[in-house]
Amino acid sequence: MENISKIKSLLSNNWVQGAIPTGLLILLIIIVELASPGFLTGETLALLLSNTAVLFILATGVTFVILIGGIDLSIQAVASLASVILAQLLPSMGFAAFPVAILSGLGFGLLSGIVHVRLRVPSFVATLATGGVVAGIALWIANGRAITIEQAGRVNTMWVNESIAGIPVVVLLAIAVGMVSFLILRYTRFGRYSLAVGAGESAAYAAGINVDRTKVIAFAISGTLAAIAGVILAARLSSGSPSLANQLLLPAIAAVIVGGTAITGGLGGVGRTAVGALIISIVRIGMTFVGVNIFAENVIFGAVLIAAVAITIDRSKIAIIK
Amino acid sequence: MLAAKGISKSFVAGTYALNNVDIEIRPNEVVGLIGENGAGKSTLMRVLSGTHRPDTGTLTLDGKPLRLRNSSDAAAHGIGMVFQEQSLLLNLSVAENIYLGQEQQFSRLGIVNWRSMHEASRRQLAKIGVDIDVTARTSELSFAARQMVELAKALTLEESVDRPLVILLDEPTSVLSASDIDVLFARVRSLKSRASFVFVSHRLDEVLRISDRVYTMKDGKVVAEHEASNVTGPELHEIMVGRGLHTEYYKEAQQTEPKPEVMVEARDLGIAGFFHGVDFNIRAGEVVGIAGVVGSGREELTRAVGGFLPHTQGTLKIAGEAVRLTSPGQAVRKSIGYIPRERRVEGLVMFLSIAENITLADLSHVMRNGAIDYGKERRLATDWIKRLRIKAPGPDVACRKLSGGNQQKVVLARWMTAGSRILILDHPTRGLDVGAKEEVYELIRQLSAQGIAILLLSDTLEETIGLSHTVLVMRDGEITARFDASAGRKPDQVELVAAMV
Repeated sequence: MENISKIKSLLSNNWVQGAIPTGLLILLIIIVELASPGFLTGETLALLLSNTAVLFILATGVTFVILIGGIDLSIQAVASLASVILAQLLPSMGFAAFPVAILSGLGFGLLSGIVHVRLRVPSFVATLATGGVVAGIALWIANGRAITIEQAGRVNTMWVNESIAGIPVVVLLAIAVGMVSFLILRYTRFGRYSLAVGAGESAAYAAGINVDRTKVIAFAISGTLAAIAGVILAARLSSGSPSLANQLLLPAIAAVIVGGTAITGGLGGVGRTAVGALIISIVRIGMTFVGVNIFAENVIFGAVLIAAVAITIDRSKIAIIK
Repeated sequence: MLAAKGISKSFVAGTYALNNVDIEIRPNEVVGLIGENGAGKSTLMRVLSGTHRPDTGTLTLDGKPLRLRNSSDAAAHGIGMVFQEQSLLLNLSVAENIYLGQEQQFSRLGIVNWRSMHEASRRQLAKIGVDIDVTARTSELSFAARQMVELAKALTLEESVDRPLVILLDEPTSVLSASDIDVLFARVRSLKSRASFVFVSHRLDEVLRISDRVYTMKDGKVVAEHEASNVTGPELHEIMVGRGLHTEYYKEAQQTEPKPEVMVEARDLGIAGFFHGVDFNIRAGEVVGIAGVVGSGREELTRAVGGFLPHTQGTLKIAGEAVRLTSPGQAVRKSIGYIPRERRVEGLVMFLSIAENITLADLSHVMRNGAIDYGKERRLATDWIKRLRIKAPGPDVACRKLSGGNQQKVVLARWMTAGSRILILDHPTRGLDVGAKEEVYELIRQLSAQGIAILLLSDTLEETIGLSHTVLVMRDGEITARFDASAGRKPDQVELVAAMV
């Protein structure tokens, strides 16, 4: 009994909590290195990072929303829609299809945010509903099928699959997204207000912060980044599909939480999400390695998510868990 | 009857919340327990009610050792607690609350017989002579009525425990009006023949009124024990804080003349259903206090000036400009700062640091090239920590780790940083101990001398009169009287009360 309470008090210690995800990541890297020396170098490393990039961009978007104390369940639908729009418009519009697809994400992010804020609908309901609408639109536009990006369109998507100085472009894109997001959260008014709203909405409101605007911006960023993740995915797979990103919602939220951002808001950031996304990717590779059925992956992610929340949730902050 | 001997409890290694405390509760008496915030009163109550286990020391009941594992254990021994933060569930009915956790006596095969529960609840309420509909939803009751329900709930122990009860009242009066306090005290007196009470409060006069014996705590120890009839408030105050309650408590000598400039001007101001036809001015450097009971409309009036509740009638001018404030953000831009009574909810983001809370309303002083300059922010906060004597290890400490008085100073530092010229002080000293209150009074005087216009709501009339230049009295949504409260010409409490009720 005493040991358990000791472990609990150790886990609730702030810096220990902050260090757990990084420690776990290092442990996983060591395990992979021991199981398969040289795996994390060269081509396989590049592939691992490329696979992580899309997940990370998606997770970064939802990090903004989780920090304000909300949740965005529409990201996989928004990403899929963006992939469909890109695939559909590339032949006629060329490169301009990219901004159009990304703007669709911004639009639906704003919509989620405004529904949440103006109609006072809890964010999980608001984004579940907009997610449904968006998924429907994607199916409609694509006629329910995957759209292959033909040779003519591929001219404009090739660059995504290139490498610069040995580093895949997708990885560079993810790094850019991560850096910008980090700077926004740490150095702008919006970033500070996000933390304040997530940690104590009433006090933030009373201090004169425009809480509604802060929330809408967070959802807009989430939608935009989901769409960016969607077009990158489409470019990599040379295909847009209404179900393209359907398996990514759970891993994306898991990456945020495993990284150590509090599901209750106000605590966390993009750096943690990067660590979380890498953990999720390595676990996924590990599963393939060990020979876990690919269909069983979400079972593992679900379990990992529960374990991560159970370990990292700050119970001093919330007396009762609902 | 119930006695504690040599009780010690430590939460943080090296510091004692309770240090070798001895107290005794005798049959049919009311024991007062006073002390500043952090003196250990609440911890002692929690030990007596079984929610905290002492590190050392023993409890005895009728001479026999008593081990309490939790609060239901304490209840089984006839020890009930009425909480400071009320423990009723607002979405349940009065009867459901009274018998919460004890439904089995009314249930058969898992189905509750509501009629018998309602009847039993009525009997409980009859014990204290109050008439409350037991089927009403608790959220519909006034705060004072809920307190009575809470007391009735504690009294249900009488039926299940075969001995006189010990009822612990933790700061029961802190949010009650004067007349509600009288009612509560009358009930306690009439119940004294059947139970013993422990009464915890900040307010010395109340403790002396109701108690037979008074224990004074300081720094985790019981430092004095008195028969209530043999001691006066000022004497207890001196023991409690270690200094005298001098007449200069409200710093009246520091009260300065307001400047002619009118900062807030209300004409025929109103919000349908709350208040109407309200006229007043607040000049720069003037403290205007509003007295009134709950429901007088004074709360809504301050919320209107703070931007939480836009007015629907009349005009409100801030520094000469007619405005209608629809959000606190707008009020902040008109250089209005609001110091709320709910410090932990509306005052501070408890999980952010002191520095982050100070700059929350206005980041412009710490922005450089469009980015937050963390070094500058820390220096600003460190400066405020020094100027306001905020007791904290540094500017990066989360506000939840500060005491109430220091939290209040952080809120004040925020509005000073934002350049507020009008401050709304909504019960600024609520929950603060005497020493911290004095510091807040001192700060209010300084702000007023600097020309800040202040609108004040306060817990006590004494404080309202002591701090204000002008006192307005509100009743049923109207201003019923105005008093000049210049230094040396302070009105009498009796005059105010006459206009309040």
